[in-house]
Amino acid sequence: MARIEIDEARCKGCGRCVVHCPKGLIEFSTELNERGYRYVIYEGDVEACTGCTMCAVVCPDQGVEVWNHRDKQTFVNTSGLTERMTHYCPGCTHGVIHRITAEVLEELGLLGRTVGIAPVGCSVLAYEYFNIDMFEAAHGRAPAVATGAKRARPECIVFTYQGDGDLASIGGNEILHAANRGEKITVIFINNAIYGMTGGQMAPTTLPGQRTTTSPLGRDVEDTGHPLRVAELLATLATPAYIARGSAHDAKHSITVKKMIKRAFEHQRDGTCFSFVEILSTCPTNWGLSPAESEQWVADEMIPYFPLGVLKEPAAQPAATPQEAQP
Amino acid sequence: MTKVLMKGNEALGEAAVRAGCVHFFGYPITPQTEVPEYLVKRLPEVGGVFLQAESEVASINMIYGAAGVGVKCLTSSSSPGISLMAEGMSYIAACELPCVIINIMRAGPGLGGILPAQSDYFQATRGHGHGDYQVIVLAPSSVQEAVDLMTLAFELSETYRNPVMVCADGMIGQMMEPVEFDREGRGPPLADNDWALGGADGRERRIVNSLYLTPEDLDAHNRKLKAKYDLIAERERRCDLDAGDEPADLLVVAFGTMARICKSAIDLVRDEGLKVALFRPITLNPFPFSELRAAMDALSERGSVLDVEMSMGQMLYDVRLAAEGSRAIAFYGRAGGVVPSPDDVATQIREALST
Repeated sequence: MARIEIDEARCKGCGRCVVHCPKGLIEFSTELNERGYRYVIYEGDVEACTGCTMCAVVCPDQGVEVWNHRDKQTFVNTSGLTERMTHYCPGCTHGVIHRITAEVLEELGLLGRTVGIAPVGCSVLAYEYFNIDMFEAAHGRAPAVATGAKRARPECIVFTYQGDGDLASIGGNEILHAANRGEKITVIFINNAIYGMTGGQMAPTTLPGQRTTTSPLGRDVEDTGHPLRVAELLATLATPAYIARGSAHDAKHSITVKKMIKRAFEHQRDGTCFSFVEILSTCPTNWGLSPAESEQWVADEMIPYFPLGVLKEPAAQPAATPQEAQP
Repeated sequence: MTKVLMKGNEALGEAAVRAGCVHFFGYPITPQTEVPEYLVKRLPEVGGVFLQAESEVASINMIYGAAGVGVKCLTSSSSPGISLMAEGMSYIAACELPCVIINIMRAGPGLGGILPAQSDYFQATRGHGHGDYQVIVLAPSSVQEAVDLMTLAFELSETYRNPVMVCADGMIGQMMEPVEFDREGRGPPLADNDWALGGADGRERRIVNSLYLTPEDLDAHNRKLKAKYDLIAERERRCDLDAGDEPADLLVVAFGTMARICKSAIDLVRDEGLKVALFRPITLNPFPFSELRAAMDALSERGSVLDVEMSMGQMLYDVRLAAEGSRAIAFYGRAGGVVPSPDDVATQIREALST
């Protein structure tokens, strides 16, 4: 029979797996783990487990591994991440996007020649979590740092991992020009509609009417402008690029995000173009919502304003996609 | 090796290539624009990388990226652009990465003017960006010296893993002089090292980072940097002393273009029998305090000092520190792009000696 193993020490008790398990086999423990979180346990009619991996896909903390009914491990924690626990709040999907990015690099065999660039913001410590060579850049400057690194070492895979304050506000110029030059880098852009690390201030992506500590009455677009749709903005550039927007708020969409990130790195690997994946992400702490409510808020409020999909992609190069070229 | 006639800015670009630097990231600004205009043609000849950035903010961060993956790299700018690079310089110094920054100083403050000035001495030696960090600052007084100091700049930046600024002014950048290079062709790349990023295949992963959230760790990092700066101050002070007939009655202190003009002025007044010496710091940081003090101590009993700058008096503070009150110090400075003539300085020298 299929089964999962939960690493209770890694669990932050966000409960995303509890919500997403289609068989209802995961529940909260009555105990706290050594970090003080009410961790989850795999209990009940565990023979009903189909090994669907939904629990692992939504876990932001590398806390679940899965075996199928033939006892083959079907969800393995990626070697692209270190074993260090992240500092992200329970239910924040930064951890999910870290995992997806690292898995893609591992699956494409690129980990050993990748240089990542961490931003300033919640993911400032990304260099502690990605198990690769990493820079930590100044606020908003990651695309310029990436440009320097990639131009100097074109054989490296270079990516930035940036939040919305970093990329869309203070780093607006750097991302615009890196994209316009068609730098052969990959940008992973996390849009959670708020400044997380500094404690919930208004971001360029904050939705109309959204309350933050610096828009306490709700964002007034007459006064502060409208939320920036960065993916759409970059997609207007004449320079060829891969531009996509996904969302990490649930398992299904996270799987699509992985396809997008994979495509982005393939474009860089093949030297095709600049690649940019915007990912809608949850911020339960600063939104003042539970992890489950946060997922719903992404679906109900963010996705209508930030529509998902591939906005732009260069025409397929036959040589670049050998599998598709076969009859 | 034969001499060639070159404009200062172009000679600086060529000197970088001869020093082994073939990666340039910069942004146009008068009066340094001939540096990128030269390198955009020159670097493709040696398989290098030239990129015009969208701003000085981006230029210095491209340098951060290129230096971090282990290539010799160069940016150049002029005063207001250096202000914009301040943030990046702090990061690069904090991460102990080697790079060279050319500053062809122009007159400030604000947008100021495009003519030569030395009013970024404080900025260069005391603080462009935030935090306890320093860059090595070299100040040429001729096109030939600018070329020589570029070679030294790359050597020092690699030896100490620290940014080095070649701090010239619009006069050095714009004038043409015969120069000789000490080597043919492109110089060597950065030596193999254990810090550059480039993919962790087959080794431990590396991190280029300046964030230290534990106070004790950041304190230790600052102490490590300070020890390096102390070592640089001990080993790398450079200066030029023209003592004249000892003991002199007046020691003129000046750097860069101003030192060169002072030399002409001193030649004028020496013909009148005045005993005047010239002290010229070549490293503005580390400042040659002990050498300057020794030159002051060698003056006649009532000998004094005249500090001359194309600013309102910035190096003056270091001259006072060197003197520690032992000598009277007069100052003559012009700003705004006004370059004093040898006659102007000679007048100041005569006045200093008559009081």
